[in-house]
Amino acid sequence: MSQGANRQDEARVVALRHEGEDAAASLPSLLAEADRIAATVAQGVHGRRRSGIGETFWQYRHHRPEDGRQAIDWRQSARSDQLFVRQNEWEAANTIWLWRDGSASMRYASSRNHSAKIDRAAVCQIAVAALLTQGGERVSVLGESAIARTGALGLERASRRLALGPGDAASVEAPNISRYGRVVLASDFLDPIETWASRLSRFAAMEAHGVLLRVVDPAEEDFPYAGRTRFEHPGGGESLLFGRAEEARSAYRQRWAEHGERLADLARQYGWSLVTHRTDRPATSAVLALFRALARDV
Amino acid sequence: MFALGPLSFGAPLALAGLVTLPLLWLLLRATPPAPKRAIFPPLRLLLGAPDDAETPQHAPWWLILFRLLIAALVIIALARPVWTPPSVEEETRPALIVMDSGWASAAAWNDMRQEAERLIDEAERDGRAVTLVTTAPTGQAIPALRPGNADSARRQLETADPQPWPADRGATAERLNEARSNDILSAPMAVTWLSDGVDSRDAADLSRALDALGDLTVIEPDAGRAPLGLAAPEPAADGLTVSVLRAGSDFPRTVAVTALGSDGRAIARTDLQFAAGEGMASADIGLPLDLRNRIASLRLDGSSSAASVRLLGDQWQRPRVGLITLESDEGQPLLSDLHYVRSALGPHAQLIDGDLDALLAEDVSVLIMTDSARSDDQRIVDFVNEGGVLIRFAGPRLAAQGDDLLPVILREGGRLFGGSLNWDEPQRIAGFPDTSPFAGLPADNSATIDRQVLAQPGSATPDRVWARLVDGTPLVTAERRARGWIILFHVTASPDWSDLPLSGLFPRMLQRLMGLSQGGSASVPGNGAWVLDQALDAGGQLVSAPVSARPVPAAAFDTAIVSPVAPPGLYRLGSAASALNVIGADTRMEPLPRDLPGARFAGLDGPRAQHFDAWLLAAALVMLALDVLIALGLAGRLPARFGTATTAALLALGLLPLAIAPPVQAQDTTSERVALSDEMMQAALTLRFGYVTTGDTAIDARSEAGLAGLSQEIFRRSAMEPEPPLAVNVNTDELIFFPMLYWPVTRDAGPLSPEASRRVAAYLAAGGLIIFDTQDADISMLRAGAPHPGLVNVLDSIDVPALSQIPADHVLTRAFYLLQEFPGRYTGSPVWVEANPDGASRDGTSGVIIGSHDWATAWARGDGGGAAAPIDGGERQREMAIRFGVNIAMYALTGNYKADQVHVPDILERLGQ
Repeated sequence: MSQGANRQDEARVVALRHEGEDAAASLPSLLAEADRIAATVAQGVHGRRRSGIGETFWQYRHHRPEDGRQAIDWRQSARSDQLFVRQNEWEAANTIWLWRDGSASMRYASSRNHSAKIDRAAVCQIAVAALLTQGGERVSVLGESAIARTGALGLERASRRLALGPGDAASVEAPNISRYGRVVLASDFLDPIETWASRLSRFAAMEAHGVLLRVVDPAEEDFPYAGRTRFEHPGGGESLLFGRAEEARSAYRQRWAEHGERLADLARQYGWSLVTHRTDRPATSAVLALFRALARDV
Repeated sequence: MFALGPLSFGAPLALAGLVTLPLLWLLLRATPPAPKRAIFPPLRLLLGAPDDAETPQHAPWWLILFRLLIAALVIIALARPVWTPPSVEEETRPALIVMDSGWASAAAWNDMRQEAERLIDEAERDGRAVTLVTTAPTGQAIPALRPGNADSARRQLETADPQPWPADRGATAERLNEARSNDILSAPMAVTWLSDGVDSRDAADLSRALDALGDLTVIEPDAGRAPLGLAAPEPAADGLTVSVLRAGSDFPRTVAVTALGSDGRAIARTDLQFAAGEGMASADIGLPLDLRNRIASLRLDGSSSAASVRLLGDQWQRPRVGLITLESDEGQPLLSDLHYVRSALGPHAQLIDGDLDALLAEDVSVLIMTDSARSDDQRIVDFVNEGGVLIRFAGPRLAAQGDDLLPVILREGGRLFGGSLNWDEPQRIAGFPDTSPFAGLPADNSATIDRQVLAQPGSATPDRVWARLVDGTPLVTAERRARGWIILFHVTASPDWSDLPLSGLFPRMLQRLMGLSQGGSASVPGNGAWVLDQALDAGGQLVSAPVSARPVPAAAFDTAIVSPVAPPGLYRLGSAASALNVIGADTRMEPLPRDLPGARFAGLDGPRAQHFDAWLLAAALVMLALDVLIALGLAGRLPARFGTATTAALLALGLLPLAIAPPVQAQDTTSERVALSDEMMQAALTLRFGYVTTGDTAIDARSEAGLAGLSQEIFRRSAMEPEPPLAVNVNTDELIFFPMLYWPVTRDAGPLSPEASRRVAAYLAAGGLIIFDTQDADISMLRAGAPHPGLVNVLDSIDVPALSQIPADHVLTRAFYLLQEFPGRYTGSPVWVEANPDGASRDGTSGVIIGSHDWATAWARGDGGGAAAPIDGGERQREMAIRFGVNIAMYALTGNYKADQVHVPDILERLGQ
């Protein structure tokens, strides 16, 4: 049973990753832009080739009296007669944090012809991760791992977590990221604007900002329902019965537009970019917009 | 009964339910259909949206009408409607129904019973008295004949069954005459004779007795139900001949006979064709002797009556063969003639040794007489005349002097070939003539004949010669004497005179001769009585003996006729078993003559009351199912892609009982098959690569693009000119045309079907090359250390030999380009080939290449000729991937050619020394 589930998961990871890489690769102009941006970004991020506060090993140096006893790296020191201190590379705010909402409402697709919002969000994120790792950036999935990695293995790990991870709202409620980090949040942003305002304010406290990828199902925007219809929340629980759904259409569309405007205002207020993507459109358009927003951001 | 013209109702009160229909109409109108369900994430935004708050919506009028129709159908069906066509004329005379209930009625019994029921119903409707008479004895006391009402007649009909013995129409005629003279029955009556259609000696008597009671209508079963009877089978040298009799002989008809063993297993089956106008059909069943000996019964397929089963008793068991032995034979078994006969016949016959007296006491059916045991005893003459088979072998004594028990007159002295003073070559056996029992046996060229006895010219007429030598002299001759056979082999039964006893032909010839014999019990014990062991019932099933059965004296058994006291079945007397069958040696089956006194003939197809409540209920059920679908559809709960097709199909199904179904024509599939073979012809005529389809269109498209790209590159770079690749389905397509197959293996790939794995194994054994590609850069190995599940499934079904990573000196590293790594879209994972590919036809080349580098993606070209997908290592890795592809193709076509070349310097060096 669990083996079957694992197998399905693996297949899903591979499929989503292929889709994401293809989305990233089928845009030659984007590839070129990615290279250019990666080149400029690398100057700012990896130029700090010196020891400092960071997570990646940089060098061992001899122990000096002012270092204190805590700084000694005993494992290394035990190999010789001298005492060594382990120094990590100084890491600036050079990691891109990705987060893909995993709430029940994201697992929704109004039709078989396009993918669920959660999958589309994962594809866009994987595509961005692929482009970023190509440029030498490090990516990490918010709330899933504290260590940011680059290269093929980093991409592999990130894709896996983006495809299968829980995407808890708790990871954005209390973001565990380094200061000045850049963040890509993919969600349908259907929670009340106030909730998101408080979440973004916590990122602002970390001096972090980035891009909001708002994934929208066409049915949510168009409201194509008519007749006697019972609307249910994907998570279960509440439901609403309408005798004639078409009569609620204009009111709903107005509220939907209002919600979108408030979200855009919120993003502007905190200095984030907002990219809106409908799942019946190709993923590449979203990837292009996302990457441009990230590039502008850098 | 409540009747509307020909339509009447069995339970008319149920029709009152129709009154409730208007009520139902109101109720259905008031119930709105269930709402559609829609999952809608931004539910919060919908809260408090204006709505016309639950205005009750009516179900559509056509749906209400549909449901009312269902209700009406159920109500009408519950009222049990009956459609009775009006009778032609009013009948007032009491009814007399005579039913044949002998074995011949079994096949048509249901029709006859229905007809009798109809006649009783009619009589009941008109309030007439009914008398029912069956013609066959039941083995119990016969109830008195008296007219009764319909109910008593129905009870009588329920207990009446066909019997496994013939009807006794004469006795019935006597009963009727007696009843008439006692005024129990008095003319005029409406007389109907439901006959089985078979003539008998006393049919005219019955007809006369019935005619005296009133107008006689004789009803015969239709031609398809005319009774059939299995006659006694005849033994033949290569099996047996079965015959079937029938009464109605107007139409051609095909029946099948199955021979069953004692354990009920079918041993052989044959079809028999009745030509139009023929009352008997015969066919041969070709069977080896040991199989024929296992037959315990014959059965007519699709017919169940006592005459459709033929029990065989034990005269068809293994023949009892007597070997006339002498004291002097005991010493040297390998020089004894009888040793070779014993070895040849042992598996197929029951061999009995002894002197003549002992053998005749054992009731053998075949006697083997060698030269040393020759005798022309009168008892042997009698044995042959009574149906025994005598097989003789020649020898020096017979050559010196002939005797009477010979099929031909022999010349004295015999004939010697190939001796030292003799220039003749030893002779070989010629092919067997068609008239001989040996016909069809292959003549053995290796057996040579050195000596033989010769027949006088003129005495060996062609019908007596069953085998000849190449020069035409007889080798086996035979003659029919009274009921038996005398067969002479003109050589010894030991290898003294010829190689024949040492060849495989000898036992087969002797087996054919066993077919001439009729089993063991040639003579019937003269005293004692045969006791019924298992009886045949009227349906042709073996049952325990009925109480009416009595032992049959042995003297009378051969002439016994089946009857309640001697039912058909298997009888035993001591250890012997014999069968008494319905169809005796002199049974004739003729149709009833048309000139029976006073008779008017009709078929079993009179007007009949039709009940159709079951049909109405079935229609209502189907419509109810349809209604559920409609309700689901209205509520939007039918899956979209499933919905329309299913609705249409079920709609058609629901309307089927209401409309007349158009004849369905079987789809002609031949054109499709031809097209398929054309496609494979193309694959066979040109060089192409194939890729195995996975069912996933994305992966299949990638495989095709990859192989197409590789084919172009190979075309450009080498002398190989492959055509565009073809998709291959391992389950249905022939693989052998492709030099190389690319097989992407998905994680969820299941095991192959047995057919597919046989195909793939044959492909590999014939020298094919398969590239298995998991296309995942060994993520699973990297991650969990677990093997790729899909690959495990596939390889398990194929039985791949031991594998190793491609060694540095493998041919794949230098088949065209010099390579040391084998990248695709990914690189760095191991690539596996067979470790020791020294298989039979593969000449040291590996049949499989297994890797995970997603080569197809690396080989594929996009629309503009550029890359179709990004590659880990960029353009250089793509080039290396193409080079590996070229190497694989070269490897598939040239095998170990490059491996041979490597040794050339070594060979030259050695030659120089």
